[in-house]
Amino acid sequence: MASPMNDVITVSVPAMSGSVHVLRAVTTSVAARLPIPFDGIEDLRLAVDEACGWLLARGRSATAMTLRLRPLDDRLEAEVSIDAADGPWPPPDLEQSLPWRILSALVDTLSLNTDEGGPSILLTKRTLEPSRTT
Amino acid sequence: MSSVERPIGSTDREVETELFKRLPDDAEARGRLVEMFLPLAEYLARRFDRRGEPLEDLVQVACVGLLNAIDRFDVERDVQFSTYAAVTIIGELKRHFRDKGWAIRVPRRLQEVGLRVNAVLPELSQELGRSPTVEEIAARCEASPEEILDAMEAVQAYSTTSLDSPVGEEGAAPIEGLGGDDPSLEILEGWASVAPAVKELPERGRRVLYLRFFRGLTQSEIAKEVGVSQMHVSRILSQTLSFLRGAVLEEGDPLREAEPHGADLDEP
Repeated sequence: MASPMNDVITVSVPAMSGSVHVLRAVTTSVAARLPIPFDGIEDLRLAVDEACGWLLARGRSATAMTLRLRPLDDRLEAEVSIDAADGPWPPPDLEQSLPWRILSALVDTLSLNTDEGGPSILLTKRTLEPSRTT
Repeated sequence: MSSVERPIGSTDREVETELFKRLPDDAEARGRLVEMFLPLAEYLARRFDRRGEPLEDLVQVACVGLLNAIDRFDVERDVQFSTYAAVTIIGELKRHFRDKGWAIRVPRRLQEVGLRVNAVLPELSQELGRSPTVEEIAARCEASPEEILDAMEAVQAYSTTSLDSPVGEEGAAPIEGLGGDDPSLEILEGWASVAPAVKELPERGRRVLYLRFFRGLTQSEIAKEVGVSQMHVSRILSQTLSFLRGAVLEEGDPLREAEPHGADLDEP
């Protein structure tokens, strides 16, 4: 899909719960322009919400929260990160934890990166195959 | 009467009192009072901005509050009018948001699109055998994708429906097998940690949560099963998840006190 949508979109907001709605809105807006079913868009939006809440809860000293959206041929990647981590990352029993369970149910793939710069959560949502869209 | 030009808060009380004494018959006095306190009304209206309502509309509502305050104010009482007016205006603004459901607050065009989206979603899902894309919805609704997005956004932002809404609303199906002691909640360790909070959820929220995360149904499937629109399912889900985040926080570990931005959802 050679379109300007292949460019990466990056949005940074203050690391506060009050900013999450901006990231949600941008996610919806970008996802809606890709061949992603309505259900998928809603799930991705919920997932971004959940990922932000999780990162914020465990990163109280963070100042910035960043969303990076990368539309690819077969999927949309949404990566949420913060610039500091206070809680241990990865959290103990990561895969048993509630946020992880919620996120895995909402997106197609899910991974956690714990670089020294701060944790990031990578979510992907598959797009429909070109033949399946109208 | 030179002091009527003064900013709010430093209004000359004598001028104020004199103007009030000329009420209710003196239209000019009333007009002057409105003028004097209009900045207060505008200021308060702005504090209710960002809720999706055009600011001019909010100023109108605030002005209604101001007029009511002027008519009801009793100069004999030992209260400054600005204090009394602020309380009345805020009351009017709050009532506006509480009472007037989205039918009044959403621009008509968006309401229409929203209604059409709700009607078209199940139709298209059936035809396509999957949830439709925004483009497909737009084509069917004869609206632009932007309008569809705006309508989706409006449903999320404007709705006064909260988690406390009665379960029966919109013909929700009766809850089956989802009592507070539902063993399935304890099956998954991660969820067990929020089981007490889950029990506090209104039944419909619990049911949607259960269908989405335990039975793995999609939002469209849940919409059909519960008997509400898909956008409503999405809204219930986001409210439910944020409720759980908050609830876990309250009883959470003491090292993480209440903080505005969320809760640690980990196992203690």
